Amino acid sequence: MTRARKLGVVVALAAAIVALGLGQAALGAAARTHAVTAPRFEVDPMWPKPLPNHWVLGNVIGVGVDSKDHIFIVHRNDTFDARHEIGAAANPPISECCVPAPPVIEFDQAGNVVNAWGGPGHGYDWPSSNHGISLDDKDNVWIGGNGTCPPPGTPGCPAGTIDSFILKFTHDGKFLMEIGTPHETVNSNSTTHFGRVAKISFDVKANEAFIADGYGNKRVAVIDMDNGKIKRFWGAYGHVPSDSNLGPYDPNAPLAQQFRNPVHCAEPTPDGLVYVCDRVNDRIQVFRKSGEFVREKIIKPLTRGDGSVWDIAFSRDPQQKYIFLADGKNERVYVLDRQSLDLLTEFGDGGRQPGEFFAVHSIATDSKGNIYTAETYEGKRIQKFVYKGMSTVDSIQGVVWPKR
Amino acid sequence: MIRRGILFGGTLLSVLASSATAQRAGRGASGRTAPRFEVDLLWPQPMPNRWILGSATGVAVDQSDHVFVVHLTDSFTPRTEIGLATNPVTGECCAPAPNVLEFDPAGTLVGQWGGPGQVSHWPEQNAGLAIDDAGNVWIGGSGGADSRILKLTHDGKLIAEFGTATPVLSGRGAGRSEDTAYAGVSPGRGGRGAGRGRGGRAEVPALPANSNSMDSFGGPAGFSFDAKANEAYVADGYRNHRVAVIDMTTGAIKRYWGAYGGKPNDADTAKYEPGGAFPKQFGAPVMCAKLARDGLLYVCDTQNDRIQVFRKDGSFVKEKTVAPATRGTGSVWDIAFSRDLQQKYVYVADGMNMKVHVLDRQSLDELTSFGDGGRQPGEFYAVHSIATDSKGNIYTVETYEGKRVQKFVYKGLGPIAKKNEGVLWPAAPRTKP
Repeated sequence: MTRARKLGVVVALAAAIVALGLGQAALGAAARTHAVTAPRFEVDPMWPKPLPNHWVLGNVIGVGVDSKDHIFIVHRNDTFDARHEIGAAANPPISECCVPAPPVIEFDQAGNVVNAWGGPGHGYDWPSSNHGISLDDKDNVWIGGNGTCPPPGTPGCPAGTIDSFILKFTHDGKFLMEIGTPHETVNSNSTTHFGRVAKISFDVKANEAFIADGYGNKRVAVIDMDNGKIKRFWGAYGHVPSDSNLGPYDPNAPLAQQFRNPVHCAEPTPDGLVYVCDRVNDRIQVFRKSGEFVREKIIKPLTRGDGSVWDIAFSRDPQQKYIFLADGKNERVYVLDRQSLDLLTEFGDGGRQPGEFFAVHSIATDSKGNIYTAETYEGKRIQKFVYKGMSTVDSIQGVVWPKR
Repeated sequence: MIRRGILFGGTLLSVLASSATAQRAGRGASGRTAPRFEVDLLWPQPMPNRWILGSATGVAVDQSDHVFVVHLTDSFTPRTEIGLATNPVTGECCAPAPNVLEFDPAGTLVGQWGGPGQVSHWPEQNAGLAIDDAGNVWIGGSGGADSRILKLTHDGKLIAEFGTATPVLSGRGAGRSEDTAYAGVSPGRGGRGAGRGRGGRAEVPALPANSNSMDSFGGPAGFSFDAKANEAYVADGYRNHRVAVIDMTTGAIKRYWGAYGGKPNDADTAKYEPGGAFPKQFGAPVMCAKLARDGLLYVCDTQNDRIQVFRKDGSFVKEKTVAPATRGTGSVWDIAFSRDLQQKYVYVADGMNMKVHVLDRQSLDELTSFGDGGRQPGEFYAVHSIATDSKGNIYTVETYEGKRVQKFVYKGLGPIAKKNEGVLWPAAPRTKP
């Protein structure tokens, strides 16, 4: 072995040890595993069925479930490498595969595509970057957008403006309403528009929609579901929101008194609470529906960059006993007890195989308790995790494959 | 046909089942049969240490049916993909797996090695892994300056380097070839580029092609071996437009040739156009040179959508196009032979059309194909390399953002149902009456 090579090995080894040390520090308590009782899941490797027409998915950026347990996704159908991914869409075609699927796709329980729609149309703006999909009690479809202008070649999108509106469609894609003045700028105290909305959720009894607002704004906004009027809004801890730049998240700094961007979910529950994903601050904040702060829970606080709290869904029992939390940075789904907010168990890992994740972005449950996850960036997938009942599981489960 | 099926190595049960099916179906509409496969949904096992696979650019199977994969460990976006390997650490996941990975037949990772920290002169972009009869591992490179071949032991100790580092720059013309190893830069969405970066890799200016060099290679892309003659056939390569035959011990180039067995001419850059005349030269890359047991050599002229067949001395036998309407990178990325004694079938990995073509080796007629684009099991994104094991199973790896290795389980011969079988999932479990 030459001197140079020896040195190379030593350097590589040292780097590996440092990386491992830091990694283990980051893992913290998570490195110790123990048995817990929690809902158990197994990935369904054959869900959904292969898409027709050589369609492929781009960044999958939202998932929702309707009253018949049909699964809706929204994906960005302009997030492809034109030369290598969508050759059949080129003019002339350069290959047999593939073609971008329409932005909104509806799957039945068996995983068949039963409808596909979306994109720019007459009478409304389509976001320059669609984001989040939710179905209300009437099975209407709500879509946000987290884009900034101008994305290349988008008409009607003045430079320096943002996606500042929400779209409401019927179940089958007929346009119903556009809420918020389009093409505005960031303003977390606006009562007329939004700031790059991540997701919409509903309190149907009160006829209110809760807006995770968003990638530009740093607030939760509550609107009337019929007329779209902004009724109230608030920032972290229930403060008046501020648009001042907080800089990057630092695990060693005191807790931020404002949300960071993005505010990525705002999920009301029938017992009067709202759970908010303060993604980059690695925390869930809980409020009453009035905006009064109740408590917060920090999740994996050493997580930098994109943060740990991406999206949440509730278990479908009447008490909504569990929270399922998608963490697209650490590539996990966490199961929390909703009352205590204790982390019970986690499953998943990084990778491209079934049950693994690359940037698991959105999460939803169906009436049978199954979980659906959507992956953005180059994950570009939707996956189903079948509910297997309550069980004794490890606190760190890894990839949850079916038994051979 | 049925007796051959038994020799082919499927289980007795599957052979009986398939022959019965074949008889019932009168061997399908075409009257022909072809090997059938199902993707193994759960192969390989998840890797330890929160390792992930980058753009995978080579796969080979050793004598004990262990599967070796080589991938690009710098094909990650640090911000979104490898938070455990950044400084400071930004998350618990993930870290790049070592360059060369060895999986046992059950899919368990049993070996890992390679990379510039362990082997000096590691290629800038490793590609094209092959295993010779002695169990040694050969690795080429698709990087703009990669002009060497590494020969290593089964567990990664360097045995030899073939080819000089800086070739004589006498060639002209071809410049940087189509980069099939890694080109995962999506122009997509206005430079935001989240998750689709080039992993911070600096663009290295490519050396020019030099297809008549006697001491260097131009991005060696694949290898096969004639153990008796102690010769290796080199698909040369990502920049050069030739097949080179070298001494397996010394690495000396013994002979080489271009398309149709002629002298390669790097100045002739005529490109294939569907429906047009066949170029007289290989395009770049030449991605495979696979020697069959009967002494015929099959060469992947990737960009020209064709396989050319030669004798060992370089004399031209014939050519055949595959999916000849394919533009862009082309259709013929890599081939593997079926493992029956006659090597009756050729499997072609087609990373542009996202499928595997099944050809009859004698006629080179396409019997059927399988796969489609996507991220689910049995789907592909840029299927780059292909190999078979002793049981007839197929392994594929995907480059760009595919970043996977997949196994397709051999299910015996069966009638050809469709020209394209689509995604080969196992049948849903049947409920017993």
